[in-house]
Amino acid sequence: MSRADAVTRILFEAFPTAEVRLFYGIAYAAIAVFLWGVYVQVRKYRRGAPLRLEGGLGGRVADMTAKVLSHRTVQRRDPAAGGAHRLIFYGFLLLFLGTATITLQYDILEPLFGIRFWQGWFYLLFSLVLDIAGVALLGGLLYMMYRRGWLKPPKLDYARPDRSPGDADFERPQYRREDWAFLWVLLVIGFTGYLLEAARLVWLHDRQEVWDTRWWSPVGAAIAALLEAGGLGMHGGGVLRLGLWWFHGLLALAFIALIPYSKVKHIFTAAASLLVRDPRAAQRLARVPESAAAPGIAKITDLNWKQLLNLDACTKCGRCHEACPARAVGAPLSPRDVILSLREFARTTLESGAVPQAAELDVHGKSPGQIAQETLWSCRTCMACVEICPVAVEHVPIIVQMRRKLVEDGAMDPLLAKTLQTIHKTGNSFGESKRKRGSWSKSLPFKIKDARKEPVQVLWFVGDYASFDPRNQKVTQTFATLLHQAGVDFGILYDGESNAGNDVRRVGEEGLYEVLAGANIAALEGASFDTIVTTDPHSYNTIRNEYPDFGGRYEIQHYTSFLRQLFAAGRLQVARPLPLRATFHDPCHLGRFNKGYEAPRELLKLLGCELVEMGRCRDNSFCCGAGGGRIWIPDPVGAEKPAQNRIREAAAIAGLDVYVVSCPKDLTMFEDALKTTGNEGKFVVKELIELIREAVPAAQSEAALA
Amino acid sequence: MKILVAVKQVAALDEDFTIRAGGRDVDEDYLLHDLNEWDDYSLEEAVKIKEAAAQPAEAAAQPVEVVVVTVAPDRADESLRKCLAKGADRAIRIWDEAVAGSDPIAIARILAAAARQESPAMLFAGVQSSDQAFATTGIAAAAFLGWPHAAVVSSLAYAPGAARAVLRRELEGGLLQEVEIQCPAVLSIQLGINTPRYASLRSIKQAAAKPIEVKSLSDVGLGAADVGEAGSASRVRRMLIPDKGRAQLIEGDAPAQARRLAEIIREFKGGAP
Repeated sequence: MSRADAVTRILFEAFPTAEVRLFYGIAYAAIAVFLWGVYVQVRKYRRGAPLRLEGGLGGRVADMTAKVLSHRTVQRRDPAAGGAHRLIFYGFLLLFLGTATITLQYDILEPLFGIRFWQGWFYLLFSLVLDIAGVALLGGLLYMMYRRGWLKPPKLDYARPDRSPGDADFERPQYRREDWAFLWVLLVIGFTGYLLEAARLVWLHDRQEVWDTRWWSPVGAAIAALLEAGGLGMHGGGVLRLGLWWFHGLLALAFIALIPYSKVKHIFTAAASLLVRDPRAAQRLARVPESAAAPGIAKITDLNWKQLLNLDACTKCGRCHEACPARAVGAPLSPRDVILSLREFARTTLESGAVPQAAELDVHGKSPGQIAQETLWSCRTCMACVEICPVAVEHVPIIVQMRRKLVEDGAMDPLLAKTLQTIHKTGNSFGESKRKRGSWSKSLPFKIKDARKEPVQVLWFVGDYASFDPRNQKVTQTFATLLHQAGVDFGILYDGESNAGNDVRRVGEEGLYEVLAGANIAALEGASFDTIVTTDPHSYNTIRNEYPDFGGRYEIQHYTSFLRQLFAAGRLQVARPLPLRATFHDPCHLGRFNKGYEAPRELLKLLGCELVEMGRCRDNSFCCGAGGGRIWIPDPVGAEKPAQNRIREAAAIAGLDVYVVSCPKDLTMFEDALKTTGNEGKFVVKELIELIREAVPAAQSEAALA
Repeated sequence: MKILVAVKQVAALDEDFTIRAGGRDVDEDYLLHDLNEWDDYSLEEAVKIKEAAAQPAEAAAQPVEVVVVTVAPDRADESLRKCLAKGADRAIRIWDEAVAGSDPIAIARILAAAARQESPAMLFAGVQSSDQAFATTGIAAAAFLGWPHAAVVSSLAYAPGAARAVLRRELEGGLLQEVEIQCPAVLSIQLGINTPRYASLRSIKQAAAKPIEVKSLSDVGLGAADVGEAGSASRVRRMLIPDKGRAQLIEGDAPAQARRLAEIIREFKGGAP
């Protein structure tokens, strides 16, 4: 045996055969416990409703791998925790791969094929890499302990906004115990690994190929030096090595065995959740299958397997809890707790041998694990939770599907029920006559084409708020003058248009949504046009992302990108720049839902405004509170509204002139919040369209209106 | 055991309506039809009685069948489907061209005839209809049937099949009257007696599969002479839009508004301008 070959990992050296056999026995038992746990989890998911995934597996694997390896989603909005997790992840991964390589050679390749590679330079290099990996792991773990123990970020507080102190599942101390146990076990495994390595070095001090190469394990070698300085001899090293070997080994095996039964399973469930992620989860909600006996989620088994998997992927990181506008204003909703509640419910009902009776599977209610109506109705479906979740949990579709069940039972605010009936009757949420839908255009000095009667290039889908709300009608008229001035060939559907249904769908009234989408698609099919333009991000979202599922495939633009093109083409020109200090509020349905972040900002720049961003902008924009049908449900009296919270954020910008919105509902919500927060007179809320009108002088024909 | 609920599809005026030629009604084109608001409550009350009787704890209770009946042309089917979606078991629609022009007395005669055929334990009607506001139909039907009646019922305690029911009636001035009534009886139900449920579009669609029993006058044992103007105690002569009031909004800023107000006062007093 050459010297290089002699340099290798010491494994069962000096172990009696019985002890080696004992170890293998325990290892197999640990693997069996692990596999049983995996089986129970998979059986749980299979007890959910069926679902067919869209998209090829290759793309999914690539996307998941990139996210896991880069930790891009884990580090968002919390780079320190993300960095620490990356250290733990890579440390753990390398140590795991290292250990797996030993098994590969010792238990498989060598006994079967006589192949040995775990020696010489390869071994030394691995030894070094694993020592560094151990440092990364311990460093990451120590930071996480510091974070949980001292930094205590509010998002890691498990107290629930939808429960009261004293409720059985209010604080959930078992979660905290598990968090700490997880950190400590990993820390002890890592630390005893180093100690074991050091003890082995001391024990084999006289063996040249071990001792001379010890600095390839720098941490182990340093600890060995300390141990020797402390008086540990070779014999003592041997005894310590044997004891630590068993301690370290058994702890590691116990850790592996417990993976499927503890939060450690996120190693697999988070990756699997990323793998089955639906990139359009909240933008495009799922239809109620024709075959469904009842719509929506009533029982835990009505969640599909992917949703059940989502529940287990949650790591309680609290990013959704932090981002949720309902939670921020004290509403009884945290997206995190919806997921965790359902997870507990699924654990107690679906992990046992037989699925309990249907009556015990009801997820609606106030018992532990159940979700209360008030919680579900607090959601604005703004998608902030889905967007920030590092492991692709899709909260909003679950919440909306649970609402579908509530709607079917009529369990909703009476005003919301009334509004839905009104929309069914009149096609709009204002209860106005259909005939009046185009009335706002009567005061214009030109006639807007009826797209049902003559072909147009641009079909303008106006939407409810822009058509009927008096304040928004002014903006709507202004937008008409801009299109007219730019010479755009456009028309509207007049009373052929109905509420687009985006919010009706998010309320959970799928039947009414189908009626509205069907009516609008029929009207659009009857018109001849090249593209659709709308000033309403809600209509924009549903026509763009959801109408295709109902056979309506159209090219549609939000006005911000359409006007940007008109400016670029020189059809509109800024003649009076506006040197205003402005901040821009990203509408949920334009920004987060459809990634339309740039066009409005470019327009503001074009107008000569100085754009000062709020802390929560772009993908972290803070919902005005009107989404998901909440505009039809009164907010609790006295409590802060999301729009007020947002206006206060804007008010902190020194010297702010104008708070710019680009959504009809935003205009209503924020003009109200400006007054109720006492900020009236300090700055103004304006539609971007109004600013553009100010900067682009009206042509002669429009002068009367401007 | 059966509860019969008389319902009506009422009309609401759309924007810019016009009076039909002949001057006795609004042009159909400008009417939006929907179920009468009061009937939502009377139907809900019947369905609640049915559901309570179906509770496992009420095993001894008789099963209840809720039947809605209306006198209307086929456009009312939409409203009947809503009733079916909300829990009615059957829907009956009675119509004949001769019925046009009937007053509440004639309509009540038809409903009473239908009630005789169905022989329910209770006949519910709304206190009034939101379009014509006669508040007569239910009570007149009681007269035709010779049944006791109670009007403006705001709460009801009734066990299906019981010989008597106890109810409270709303009187003027915030008073309530508790009444014991012998069954079968006719009750006209007031708003607020319960919270009508929401009928999801899905349930309305599913109700479309349930049949609506369409009956002619002869099916209920009546003839053309019993209905229409011939069978009515009153007839509409004409419908009119009252002259616009003289209210006006004074525009302008405060001094201008004050000036204008002073002018108007002077005009009224007839003094010098």
